Amino acid sequence: MNESWTRAKARYESEGAPPPVLDFAVASAVRAGERRRRSRRAVRRSLTAAAACCACFVLLVNASPGFAHAVDAVPVLGQLARIFTVEQYTVDDRDHLIDVRLPALELSGHTDLEQRINVEIQSRINALLDEAEARARKAREAYVETGGEEIDFIPIIIDVDYEIKCQNGQYLSFLVTETETLASAYTQTYAYNIDLEAGREITLRDLLGPDYVEIANAAVRAGIAERSKDPDQVYFSPGEGGFQSIDPNQRFYLNQAGHPVILFDKYEIAPGSMGQQEFEVVP
Amino acid sequence: MEQTILSPHQQLVDYLVSGQADFYRLAFSYVKNRDAALDVVQESIVKALSKSDTLRETAYLKTWFYRILLNESMNYFRRGRRLVPFPEQQEEPAAPDPDVGERLDLYDAIDRLSLQEQAVIRLRFFEDMKLEEIAQATGANLNTVKSRLYKSLRKLREWTGEELSDE
Repeated sequence: MNESWTRAKARYESEGAPPPVLDFAVASAVRAGERRRRSRRAVRRSLTAAAACCACFVLLVNASPGFAHAVDAVPVLGQLARIFTVEQYTVDDRDHLIDVRLPALELSGHTDLEQRINVEIQSRINALLDEAEARARKAREAYVETGGEEIDFIPIIIDVDYEIKCQNGQYLSFLVTETETLASAYTQTYAYNIDLEAGREITLRDLLGPDYVEIANAAVRAGIAERSKDPDQVYFSPGEGGFQSIDPNQRFYLNQAGHPVILFDKYEIAPGSMGQQEFEVVP
Repeated sequence: MEQTILSPHQQLVDYLVSGQADFYRLAFSYVKNRDAALDVVQESIVKALSKSDTLRETAYLKTWFYRILLNESMNYFRRGRRLVPFPEQQEEPAAPDPDVGERLDLYDAIDRLSLQEQAVIRLRFFEDMKLEEIAQATGANLNTVKSRLYKSLRKLREWTGEELSDE
């Protein structure tokens, strides 16, 4: 680090030197945060049924060969596929804590596909936000009717965001997540896999060959066996509704290595405490 | 299972208390005002704690929180900017590019970058974060972070007339 940076850093540190009151401010914020969290737990006890309907989902698009955000670095390839934020807003009031960062896909040469994906992302997120709103209103009414103080009701917390999972010369894979937290979080996953050249969605069969079901199943079973060695990691047995086989429309995304990663929702193959489960399939 | 010795939530509380000075400095660098920076830090902490159940991996605790903190800082900055009285606003650079020949101090020059570029520069050089961490903290991918970093360094070099390398 050269001298200019050292000087700038010194200014950064001195101008932003924390005042003594920071200690108090942080302590009181921690208390407020804890209160908000506790009241959510109280809600959880009285509203288990209503709280079960939370949604979080993942949209996923795998495209090749250009990748988003690399537009500057790869002038030619960068034009082919791009993901950008189309909508970003925050609602922060007594009833809502909503953060939305909604992505859109730009796929030159495949306008139909691009539109279909974008319309799907948009309408899915909008529908979920509307539903969440209605559900929160009902939950709130039920809470008050059953003797809860309205003032104690915690706001609904919704986060819409996206994350790019894989970017190499061949694929682009990103997840869109909508997480609604009312009491606990439930996760639902949707997947879109696109072959840019062919202008259609990629399937596990394309990636793993005709035996893709067996290959993926073997990877999932091996993953479950491996993780089950840890006594804290518990999966449902096949008889209890645990993992038997992947679905024909199994959701997955591509990781950095370009390998498919099978996604399972919370509760799908294991108790909720295990959260969402992922298994990489190495072809 | 939540009742392990140090639950993720407890780790978060500890981290929030121990890192408060860093959080304050970063918030201050955006809002440039003591009370506003305190507000931002408080808001971020409350938000983080009330959402702490969404934090599954404590390995990402730091970047997870910085993401909230940056969002709050930038939102505050944007909100505040609209409310700034007219005379004060005039003192701000009307155009992002300073006059030719004008030489800025590096610290002041950073303020002329876009909000996202400021984040990359500050996290990289003042908070010593790795590029991958910056990517997580800003919610951008690694390539975006790299290109923001290089673009910012280019602008800063131009505005300060100093040799600035990424080291």
